[in-house]
Order: sequence, then C-alpha cells, then structure tokens
Amino acid sequence: MTAWTDSAGGRRARAILTSRPFLTLAIVVAVWIAASFASRGFGAYGHLRYLVELGAVIGLVAAGQTFVVIAGGIDLSVAAIVTVSAISLPLLSWQADPTGLASVLAVLALTTAIGVINGLGVALLRVHPMIMTLAMATFLQGLLIIIAGGSAVTAENLLVHWLGNARPAGIPAGILLWIAVSVLVLTLMHATPFGARIFAMGANPLAASLSGVPITSTTLAVYGISGFTAGLAGVLVLGMNGQGYVGIGDPYLLASIAAVVLGGTSILGGLGTYAGTIPGAILLVTITALITVVNASPGWRSILFGSLILGLLLLSGRERARR
Amino acid sequence: MTTAPLLAARGVSKAFFGNPVLRDVSIALQPGRVHALLGENGAGKSTLINLLSGALRPDSGTIEVDGRAVARMTPALARQAGIAVVQQELSLTASLSIAENIGIGAYPKRFGLVDYKELAARAKAACKLVGLDEPLSTPVGNLSLGRRQMVEIAKALYRRPRVLILDEPTSSLSATETKILTDLLGRLRGEGVAILYISHRLNEVMALCQHVTVLKDGTRTADRSLEGTDATGLVRLMVGRDPGDLFPKWQPSASPGAAISVRGFSAGLMHDVELDIRTGEVLGIGGLVGQGQEDLLLGLYGAIPARTASATVNGVSGLPGNVPKANALGLAYVPADRKREGLHLIHPIITNMMLPAFARLPSLKLRSRKAEGEKGRGLAAQLSIKGDLQRPAQALSGGNQQKVALAKWMPHDPLVLLLNDPTRGVDVETKREIYLMLRAFAAAGKAVVLLSSDTPELVHLCDRVAVVREGRVVRMLERAALSEEAIVSAAMGAERRKVAA
Repeated sequence: MTAWTDSAGGRRARAILTSRPFLTLAIVVAVWIAASFASRGFGAYGHLRYLVELGAVIGLVAAGQTFVVIAGGIDLSVAAIVTVSAISLPLLSWQADPTGLASVLAVLALTTAIGVINGLGVALLRVHPMIMTLAMATFLQGLLIIIAGGSAVTAENLLVHWLGNARPAGIPAGILLWIAVSVLVLTLMHATPFGARIFAMGANPLAASLSGVPITSTTLAVYGISGFTAGLAGVLVLGMNGQGYVGIGDPYLLASIAAVVLGGTSILGGLGTYAGTIPGAILLVTITALITVVNASPGWRSILFGSLILGLLLLSGRERARR
Repeated sequence: MTTAPLLAARGVSKAFFGNPVLRDVSIALQPGRVHALLGENGAGKSTLINLLSGALRPDSGTIEVDGRAVARMTPALARQAGIAVVQQELSLTASLSIAENIGIGAYPKRFGLVDYKELAARAKAACKLVGLDEPLSTPVGNLSLGRRQMVEIAKALYRRPRVLILDEPTSSLSATETKILTDLLGRLRGEGVAILYISHRLNEVMALCQHVTVLKDGTRTADRSLEGTDATGLVRLMVGRDPGDLFPKWQPSASPGAAISVRGFSAGLMHDVELDIRTGEVLGIGGLVGQGQEDLLLGLYGAIPARTASATVNGVSGLPGNVPKANALGLAYVPADRKREGLHLIHPIITNMMLPAFARLPSLKLRSRKAEGEKGRGLAAQLSIKGDLQRPAQALSGGNQQKVALAKWMPHDPLVLLLNDPTRGVDVETKREIYLMLRAFAAAGKAVVLLSSDTPELVHLCDRVAVVREGRVVRMLERAALSEEAIVSAAMGAERRKVAA
C-alpha cells in the first residue's frame, strides 16, 4: 500500500479518487446503472441526454450559487431571477433585432444588475445575505405579478428558440451552453486571482480584508455573477418551455443549493469547486426522474425528493470539523 | 518527595499519523509547587497537556491521578478530579457575558433553572482573584485580548481546581496583569494547588517556578529543581546548543527622512497623535494592553476610519482610505491574532503566502501554479518554513504560522511594515529569526513599526519607543533613554505622579 501511495502520481490519483466531485460523479454513475436494470429505457442514450439537458438549467443557476457560497454568502433570489428573465424577455423585444440577441443581452444585463444590487446590500449596507436576497426575491415576485399578471407569455425570439431546441451534432444547444459556461466558471474560479480572492473572502473575511482583498467590489462581482447565470438559466428554460409564467423558476432555489452542497462545496464558505456542482446537478435531475418512474402522487414525490437529498448528503459525507 | 503527585504522566508516548510527537515522557505535578514546562514550539508541550487533561489518549504509558492509574482519562474525568486547563487558544464565546463564560458547563442550578444570582456571586469571586473589575454582564467580545485571557483564568479558578495548567497565560498580558497573576499563583501554591506553567518568558519562569521539565523534539531533556539553574542553562536544554544573544546587535540605521508623518491623527481609541515614522528605524509602540495601540496601526493602514489634520505617507499626502490603497503605498500589516486575522487556516500554506499578490494582480490574469510554487518555496526557504506547502496552514505550529503571516508580504517589498505583537506565543528560536529580519529590514532603509506587549523586545530592538496611554502617545523615548523601567513607568503614568509629589 505504501509504495503506491508514496509516489507523487499515486498521491495525486488518490486525492482525485477520494475527492467529493469524484464521489458525486460515482454516485451518479451507480444510480444510472442500477436504474437502467430496474427500468427499461432509463439507460437509453436519448433519455440520459435528456437528463443532462434538464441538468443544464440547474447547473447554470448553481454556477452563480457556487461562487456566492464559496464567498461565504448565499443567494436565495435565484429562483425569482430565473422567472424575471423568462418573463421579461418577451417584453424586451425590438423589431430591429431579427436574431433576438439584443433582447437576450438586455435581459442578462438586467439580471446581472439585480445581482449587483444584492451585492450592494450585502457589502455596503451589511444586510445578511439571507435577508437581502430573500427580500429581493419577494420584491421581484411582487413586481412580476404586477407586470405579467397570471398569464403565460410566449417568446418569439430566434436565439432563445434555438437554445431550447437545436441539436448541433446531435447535442442539445443547452448542454453546449452549459459546457461553455462550465469551462469559463472553472477557469475563473481556480485559475485567476479573482477566484483566489473569493476563496479567501469565504474562509476568513477579516484576514482577507487585512491582506488587501477588495471586499466590496469582490462581493458585488460575486452576486452579479449569480444574477447573470440565473438570467442565463431563465433564457434557456424559456427556450425549452416555449412559454414563461410566474413561478417557472421556483424549483431552482432548493435545487441550486442542493447541487452546490452535494458537490462538496462547504456551506460555510471558503472551500469547494464547481467541478462538484456539475455532477451534483445531474444527480438531482436523476433523482427527480427516478421518482417520476416510481409513479407516486405529487405529495409523495416531494417527500421522497426531500428525503433522498438528505440521505445523499449523509452518505457523501457531512461538513468535516474545521480547525 | 514521598507524597503522591496529584497528577502525573508515566512514560507516555503519542504519535499523530505516524509522526511521534511525544516519546516516553514522564511528569509529576506535586501539590504546592509551580512546575514549569519548557520547550520550543512543536516540542510537544500542548500534546502533553492534552494527555494530562484527557483531551487526547496516550498511545502507551499511563496517566495517574493521586497516584492511581486512570485507564481511560477523559475531559469529564479530569474535571471531576479538579484539573483545570487555561488554553493558549482562548475558548471563550464572544457573545456571552463574562459571568456566563466563566460558569459555562458548571452553572449553579436552582429548581432545574440556572441560578443567575449564585452564578454572579461565584463568578464575581473568581474575577476578584484575577483583578477583573469590568461589569460581569459585559460580553466577552467587547474585551481586549489581555482581559479575555484574565476571564479564561477566572473560568479555571471558578472550578476550584486542585491542579491548574496554564498554557502561556502571560503572552497577551500587560505588566500589571502579569503581576496580578504572579501573586495569585503564589497564593494558590500556598493553598496546596499543583500548578503547571508554560511560558516562553524565561525570567517569569525563573521568578515563579520551583521545578522544571524541558521537552525537546518530543523527549524529556531535563526534569529538575530550578534551584541553581540560570536562564542560559534552560535555553541550552531547550535548543540543545548554546543560546547566544536573543537580540541582534543594535546598530543605528535611521535616516532623517520620514516614511509616515501624521498630525492631529485620530482613529478608534487614539486621538490627537503627532507621529513621525522615519525610514530605516524600528519604532516601538508600548504601553499597557488595550490603550489604543492597535487602533493606531489599523488607522494608519486604512483598516478602520481615521481622521488627520495633515498626513504624508511615503511622499503622498493624506492617509490611505482603505487597505488596498495602503498596500499600493507600500504599507503592510501583520496582525496579532494570526488565527483570526492573519491567516486562512483551512487553506494551503502556499495560498496564504500568495494572497496579497492575488489581491493586487489584475482580476482576470491567468495564474501560473508553477510560478506560485517556485515563489512559495523561495519564501519558505528564506524563512525556514519546513514541510509540504500544500498542507493547510492550521497544520503548522504557532511560530511557523507567524512566519507565514510575515512571509506573505515579503514579495511586495513593503516600505513600511506595521507589526502587531509579532512574537506573541512564538518560541525562542523563531523570535530570534524574526528579530534579525526586522533589523535587516530597517537596515535596508525601510520603516518598521513594532507594537509589542513584550517590554524587553521594545528595549533591545527599537530605535525609539512611543508609549501609549489612554489613547494618546504620552511619551516618546529615544534610544538613549530606553529601559524597561522607563517604558513601564510611562505606560502606567507613574512619572506624572512623581512630578506631582
């Protein structure tokens, strides 16, 4: 045993094999294999591809959430921002915009601004992130009801439609978008000074500030990113659904936080990676699909979903004691 | 001695992850004796305390209470046996009051509810012993580090211990508080309490203790009466070689140029400060703990709001409004509480070293892990920080953590180094290294501001010492006038009384 673990390569291999992202991935694969034996069609390529496509929406929302949680905060307004994005896109359309790109950019600018306002409240007014983002969510929900009322809105936007339905080279555009965002997020998180500041801020804000980390601007950026990725998820969900309505983003609040935590990111901040959130998001849609297969009533589905998330968290290791 | 020791360890060994930390160590605490435990950081002192107090279990060897071996020592058993430990890392809860902190876990009960009246009475008695006169309902978070240490000691006394273990109790105490503690220990000793005393301050040990056990690299190198031993002899036992001088030879390197110059400066507790910090000098900041010295440093550093009539910092007029601006002006700050303010304990050592660089580099510039690794290894070699730099910083001993807290600023070549008690809880060898570094820094034409609670350090290392009392710089002692007596009397306002009389 020692000969293997002592070599540098062996140590690295062991570090990867025992890491939380890998563990989460292993659980996903195990569940997929078990489920395809239990239920015909579950393991079909088309079905698995569909699961990953659904996971893309959670994965996008959870990308921003991962940043916020690592920085020591939490964003409870992501669901409302997804809805804002899906509903305001049809409202922000111009004749002189045949591809729909301009309105998508306008919506993303809007949701990013909402995130930055969250950041302002947290960094400058020193409102607790939970209160600030929850208040923001409530505010946005009220605004949406006034603007959209109870009716669903339909988007006639080429780009949005393409994102939700096109399959270049057989791969859904939503998955491609998720891959692109994942590469960007992982680079930003682990290969730039900005990413290092976020980890430092989450682990010990006082020490980070005394080391010269600009706390205010970093906080604004982190919540801004969360607003941006939630907005992107809203655009994708609108494309996949064809219609936007109040409440379309609701499932993504718990899902985004669960994906982050299932992926091994510390809810206390300072430790974690988006590489864990990605399998975390896929694991969540897989569970949802399994519960649908079981054919339970909606009440029992929710109960099963909640219990399974708790069980998985216990299984994949709780927060280890710090210091 | 024929009486059975109140608490003893017989031939205990302990290893962590295969690394032996203690090897076949014995120690016996006799009633009515102050027993010193000496050793450098990482020698195994804390582990031995943890074995004695049941926080850890030995791999081999036994722990004895009243001469009888205890099969499974636990913290609960230790408490029952009257063993109280004052930890080096304070274990207080900031949001609870002094009384609640003191009584925690042993609240007096009445009809199943906490009897606050009784608690207040007993906590008050314990506070009186250590000279704590703050209202008992004050949240501990509002107290200075030194006062918190006194609460910690009061907490141990509240339990009426038969064995009292003190792990570096004086490292954050002022001279007055140290005096109170010394008198108290003398009294407890007279009452037959067995005391184990750990300190890096040898003169304290010489004055207070009767017996000494010295640890070096996990083995016991001495266990003898302190009678007829001198401080040099003790250092030799700890380090394993002749000590030489702790302080580097002082040579003037100050130049007339001012690195920082402030008039009418106010920040936090400090007000109306006029101060010139010259390039090439080590300026000491002395005084009793908690008189506002820390606010002076933090105000200059832009970490807390400050006002001035006029200020010049490295040729730029005005104070830096925030920490990034201060860093850009060439200021660096090393905090006193390295665990809370200085380091990111859960992050790798190398990340800690690189953090000021990350704070200043363009946000989106790609990092090079290879270049970071090289820079980190260079810094580690320069400051003799040993071991894998990928380990979390909490794996390091206190002295090495302090070196990391210093090392992280080195690549930026700061013009002014603001240090808040950099040698607190640091072993002799590391102290010497830090002193050498500070003098070398001043010799290179930089300015060093050294806030310290260790008076000899101020006397031997500094070009000038500003003594702070009640938020003002009451005295500026030049090199020729520097002595421990001068600093202490200025700090306590003794000279004013002398004039009045």
